[in-house]
Parts: sequence; C-alpha cells; structure tokens
Amino acid sequence: MMDAALVESIIRILFAGVIITAAYIISTRNLLSLVSVYALQSATLVGIALCLYTIEGAVVLLGIALVTFASKVLIIPYFIATIQERIRIKRDIEFHYLNPTTSLFLSMALMLVIYMALSSIMPNVSGKPTLFFFGAVVGLSLVLMGMMVTFSRKRAITKVLGYLTMENGVLLFGMFVTELPFIIEFLIVIDLIILVILTAILTVGIDSTLEEYHNRLHRFYLWEGTEDVP
Amino acid sequence: MVPFLLSAALLVLVIGILAPLAAAGRDMRSVRILSLACTALSSLALAAASLIVLLDGDPVTIFLCQPTPAIGIVFSLDRLAAFFTLLIAGISGCVAVYSVEYFDHLSGNGRRNVLCGAMNLFILAMVLVVASATTVSFVFFWELMAASSFFLVMYEYANGETRRAGVFYFIMTQLSTLFVFLGIIALFAGTGSFAISPIILSSSPLILPAFLALFTGFSIKAGIIPFHKWLPYAHPASPSPISALMSGVMLKVAVYGLIRFLLDVFAPEFWWGVLILAAGTVSAVLGIIYALKEHDIKGMLACSSIENVGIIFIGIGLSVILNALNLPALATLSLLGALFHSLNHALFKSLLFLSSGSVVHATHTRDIEHMGGLARRMPYTSALFFIGAAAIAALPPLNGFVSELMIFVAMFSSIPLVDPFVKVLLFVTLALFALTSALSAACFVKAFGSVFLALPRSPESEDATEVSSLMIVGPAILAAGCIILGIFSFQIFSLAGFNLPLPDMFLVGVLLCGTTVLVYGFLYFTTPHAHRVSPTWGCGASAQKPGSEYTGFGFSEPIVTIFSSVYRTKKKNVRHFYDAKECLFSDGIAGIDLIKVFEEYLYIPIAKAACRTSAAIARFQNGCLDTYLLYVFVTVVAIIVFLGWSA
Repeated sequence: MMDAALVESIIRILFAGVIITAAYIISTRNLLSLVSVYALQSATLVGIALCLYTIEGAVVLLGIALVTFASKVLIIPYFIATIQERIRIKRDIEFHYLNPTTSLFLSMALMLVIYMALSSIMPNVSGKPTLFFFGAVVGLSLVLMGMMVTFSRKRAITKVLGYLTMENGVLLFGMFVTELPFIIEFLIVIDLIILVILTAILTVGIDSTLEEYHNRLHRFYLWEGTEDVP
Repeated sequence: MVPFLLSAALLVLVIGILAPLAAAGRDMRSVRILSLACTALSSLALAAASLIVLLDGDPVTIFLCQPTPAIGIVFSLDRLAAFFTLLIAGISGCVAVYSVEYFDHLSGNGRRNVLCGAMNLFILAMVLVVASATTVSFVFFWELMAASSFFLVMYEYANGETRRAGVFYFIMTQLSTLFVFLGIIALFAGTGSFAISPIILSSSPLILPAFLALFTGFSIKAGIIPFHKWLPYAHPASPSPISALMSGVMLKVAVYGLIRFLLDVFAPEFWWGVLILAAGTVSAVLGIIYALKEHDIKGMLACSSIENVGIIFIGIGLSVILNALNLPALATLSLLGALFHSLNHALFKSLLFLSSGSVVHATHTRDIEHMGGLARRMPYTSALFFIGAAAIAALPPLNGFVSELMIFVAMFSSIPLVDPFVKVLLFVTLALFALTSALSAACFVKAFGSVFLALPRSPESEDATEVSSLMIVGPAILAAGCIILGIFSFQIFSLAGFNLPLPDMFLVGVLLCGTTVLVYGFLYFTTPHAHRVSPTWGCGASAQKPGSEYTGFGFSEPIVTIFSSVYRTKKKNVRHFYDAKECLFSDGIAGIDLIKVFEEYLYIPIAKAACRTSAAIARFQNGCLDTYLLYVFVTVVAIIVFLGWSA
C-alpha cells in the first residue's frame, strides 16, 4: 500500500486537474478538443477513484473506476467523436446569456460560494479542510459548471457534454460525501450512454434520409446548412 | 316542529332544483311551474319555521355530517338567522309567483328550465349560508351562492353586454369569496376552531386581519363603495326576478355575515365601528348620487341598492360605536334599525325590480327616456311601483320611513351622551344621511314621473299594456308587506319584545289619511264646480307633444350640475358660424360626459397593473430550453446560498 499522505496529495493534484478540464470545457470554442478533454476529465475521475481505493480499500471504488473508464473514457467519447465526424462542425461560437470569459469568472465565484456554504453546512471540517470536504466542493462546483455549459451553449452537442460534465460532478460528490450505491452509479452510466446514442440517432438520422433530417439539424443547432453532409 | 319544517323546505327546494335540470333539454312549462311551486312551498315552510323561532326565541340546531373531527356541517337557526331566513323566504315566494308568467316571456326554450333550477339552487345556498353554524359550511355555501348567481346573471349570454357583466360579476364575487375565505382561515389560525362562536383568545394578532378580510369580503358582496361597480352591471343584465333576488336578498346575506361575525365571533373595537360607519355613509351618499344620473331603470335601482346597503352599514357601524361607548340601549336601537331596514329594503327593492321588469317587458326598453304615460296603460303596475317608490323614499307611514327613523333616533339620542370627537363624527354622518334621504326622494320622483306620468315618449310605450295577473300578484304581496310593516311597525316590535322609542305608525297613518280626506273634502266643497273653457297662450305650439315634456335628463340636470365634482361632468358645447360676427350658425357639437370615477381611477389602473404584471411574468416562459436551464441553475445556487447562510 502507498503512503496515505502521498495519495492525498495526488488526489489534490487530480482535483486541480478536474477543475482545469472543467474550465476548458466552459471556455473552449473548439468542438474537436472538447470530447478529448471530457475523456481526460473522466480519466482523472478514474484516477481519483483508484487513489481513494488505496486509502479506503472499498471494492466498490474499483467497480466505479472500471465502469467510468469503460463508459466515459471509451464508449461515450467514441460515440460523440463519431457524431462530430458525421456533422463536421468544428467550432461552437454561439453563446446564450454568458460568454466564456464571464463563465470562467462566474465559476470562480461559484467555487468560493460553495466553499463558504459547505463550511457552514459541515462544521466539523472548519478547522482544517479535509480531502472529503474538498471533494464535495469540487464535485458540486463541477455540477454547476456543467449546468452553466448546458444553458450557455447553443449547440446540442456541447449541451450534451455539459450534461456529462454535470454527471462527473455528481460522481465526484458521491465518491467523497454521500457514497452512492454502485448500482445507482451503474444505472446513471447506462442512462448517459443511452443519451449519447439518442443524440447520435437524432444527429445522423439512421432511420431516415438526410433530407428529412436537414430541418431537424437546423433546429438543434447541429448544422449550419452550407457544408455537404455525407 | 322547526327541524321538520326546515328539512322539508330544503327537500322541496332540492326537488325544485333537480326536476327542471333533468328536463333541461326540452321546453316544458309544466316542469317550470312544478319547480316554482316548490320554491313557493319551501318559502312557506321556511317562513313558518323562522316565525316560530323568532317568537319562541329558542335556537334550533341540525347536525348534518362530520367529515373530519375538526370540520362539521352543522346548521343552526337562532333569532338572527331566523330573521334573515324569513327575509329570504318572503322574497323568494313572491319572486316565484311573479316568475311563473315572466319566464314564459323569456327567450331560450329549454334554458328557462335551467334558469328555474339555478334560481332554486341560489335560494337554497342563501338559506344554508344563513343557517350555517360553522365557518366551513358558511364559506362552502357562500361559494355555491356565488357560482349559482353567476349562471343566473349569464342567462342572456348571447348578448355581449351580459357576457361583460357576467365576467365582471364573476371576478368581484370570487374576490369576495377569497377575502371571506382568508378571514375564516385567519380566524382558524387564531382560535383553532371552525365554529362560529365567541373568540376566547381575543389577544391573538390574527383577529384584526380576520376582521378586515371578512369586512372586505362582505363589503364586496354587499356592494359597498369602492367595491360597488358590479351592481350597475350585473342587475340590469339579469332577468328581473333574478335582479330582485340578488338585490333584495343576496346583498342582505352579506349584511347577515357581517352582523353574525360582529355579534357572535368578535369583540368589536370603537374604530371598527367608525370604519363601518364611514364606509356606509360614503356608499349611501355616492350611491344615490349615481342613481340620480342613471337613465337605465334597472341600473338606477342597482345604484339605489348601494345607497340602501350604505344606510344599513350606517346602522351597524353606529351600533358598534355605541356598544364600545357603553350605550347598549341605543346600540340595540341602531342595530334593530339596520336589521329592519334590511328587511324593508328587501321588500321594496324586490317590488321595484319586479315592477320595472313588468315595465321593461311591456315597453321593450330599459331607458326611462323612452317610457312615459304608463300610469294609464299599466295602472296596477304603476300603483305598485308608486308604493315601492314611496317606501324607498322614506315617506310615512311606510316601512322605509320607520327603519330610517330608528337609525336617526339612535343617532340623535346618542349625540348628547358622547365625547366631542364622536359628536363631530355623528353630526357629519347625520347631515350626509339626511342628504341621502332627500336625494333618494328626488331620485324616485324622477323615476316614477319619467316612467309613468305624462305622455308616452316612444311607440312601444304608446302600445304598452298591463301585464298578466300573476305578474301583479307577486309584487302586490310585497307592496302589502311594505304597508303593513310600516303601519304596524310599533306593534310588531312590541310583539318581538322590543319597546322602542318609536311613534305608533298606525296612528300616524290614520292621521295622515284623515288629513288627506279633510283637505280633499275642504277643497271639494269650497271650490266652484262650474267648468270654464278658455284658450291659453301655448307659446305658439298647437298641441302638447312628448318631446316638449320634462324628461328624466331634464329633471336630473340641476343635480348633475351641483354634484359635477363627484360626477366629473364635462360639458361640451362647440359652435361654428358662417360669419365672423357669429350670427349665422352652421353646425356644432354639444354634450355632457360623465366620467366613471371609480372605474377610471381605481378599477382600470388596477386591471392595467395586473395585466402588466402578468405580461412580465409571462415573459419568464419564453419556450427556450436555455432559459429554463438558467432558472434551474439560479435556483440551485440560491438553495446552496440559503443552506449555507441558514446553517
């Protein structure tokens, strides 16, 4: 077994990684890199789950790491990458209510607010913040940052990634505070996979001709209508 | 005996509701007659039960059901409830007799059956409101009364004016229910009980809000200014028997509610009385001023109802003030005056509405400028209307005079006994009350003169004929009530156990009759009987024409001018001439515009503010997914902040 203090330090570094990836998802205009960053964020969560396993020794953490790796690092990014390839949209430059810079500042303010709020709600950690307290703060911040992506971006594909980021936040919060039962975590992952598959169906229209879907693509901000669709 | 009579009356009323509703699809006169017979029969039973309770003085309680341990549906008939039940029964019976033939003249085929059923439901609801012993059943039947009266107002729904009146009435009546409901909830929160019984915890902070809410709710229903605007819309839009029931009876149910809660639940403070008195005085004065300018006969009667309910509120407010000042005998006199005026107003206002319904039926117009000369064509109706007009104008020895006199006596007698502030208050009220009485007389002189006297001012009026017998019998019973209650008022109060400082109106009546006979006899025997025929100068006119008569507009024009600050009268007179010296007239415009003050300065601004607020709130629902997600985001952040702040 590794030294607990070292593992805690690694987890703190991974927290920083999670926040950086979330900040990137909020601010980037490049859709192609977005899915890679999401996969990286999920991989970071896998790392956190494994590190936590070395401290606590709970087998369920291994299960979570495995499911997360399979679904969020491999399957979901694969589907989204496929969609992006089909629709050939490379940039997302339309925003609603918040532009990337404002979103970033707001995220910082939100993290501060959540830190203060959780300090009041969890008085036993008021002396020295523990790892679990940080986990809760980062998890909740990640949920809200993902939510910001869902309402501040116009393209459906980015909204889906925002939603996936929210779920990563829930996973992180669950790992450190509430300890969601494994079965629920598993079901959430299945939901996410279905969501992404549905997005793929809506996007490329596997049950119909492309002409019929043209209007729908416009409606979901998936297509601008000037480039050729294969 | 009383529980049996009461139960039988309610059962018969239920039959009167169900039978015509079951035959709603077909136009069946027999079913309508059955339904109206049920109304008359139940009225007799209710009147008998009420009279027994009034004379015995023992309250009767009927337990219906107990849905939950805290909520029970219980009815009780004490003397106050019996008095108002008698009022409802008396008017309903006469209206039923009148309606038998009146409904035949209405259009709508099968809908007339529905009208009969809804009218009985309305009467049933009013009886059960008055008989309710718990606040739960009170508010339940109050709402039933409101809903059924809305359907009655909307009978002629194809008419745009009726629809507008119906919507206006619906909003106001629901506001009334809302305030009554709020008051009852506040009472429950303050006392923990739904029973209509004296408050034990009188120090509870919710007592005052409860009173204010109930007072507002009852004031809306009673048509107290500034909540009065529904009356001049709803009454003219309804069939006349319904107007008679609404104005004569439903307004009194609101009065009953106020008196019941003041007497049995609250321990009223001095300023509550001042509030009620002020509301009553303003309503009395403005109500009759508005009635004077009305040329729609039913609109005029509706405005006059505002005035009379104002007088009733003056009596109630004065009673509360005198009770607070520890003058119980005068307080009782004032309250009895208010109660007696409630009964009297129910009688003469129903009589006037039914008579005006006959007039409208005969002339096909509600505009009094198109009437005239009906005394010769409709002699019975004109005699009945005259009795109603004399009673409402408080002429002795009729009932209107007695009830107003009781309030006047209470006011006069209390002035020497109270401190200077109250003296000033009572003097001001007295002066305005006296003005009201004078204006009321002027209003009904105008009404009777314009409608029944002189020459007909329209072909319809020229061709008008007397209505059928049952349409005379119903109002005739009410007219007899007005005379009997006036002449025998002293004896009636003595029978009920009240020795009041009132003149014996029977003696007054005999003296008045004797004086009239003497004057007539003196003139008859002292004036020469020889006919003298000689030409007079007729200003160049060859014959008297209807257009040259004194019209209702002409009669009320000086009053409109005097009260122009109230009416906000705008006279417009623009003339154009061909020449510079203004000798050759080419054309011009002249007119008088009366601003509807409360409508334009209160109702419409509130409605516009409500529309603006609604539009602002509606903008939150813009159909955009991102916006809804933003709301969720803001809510989540707010919850986090709230939890952090409150932890």
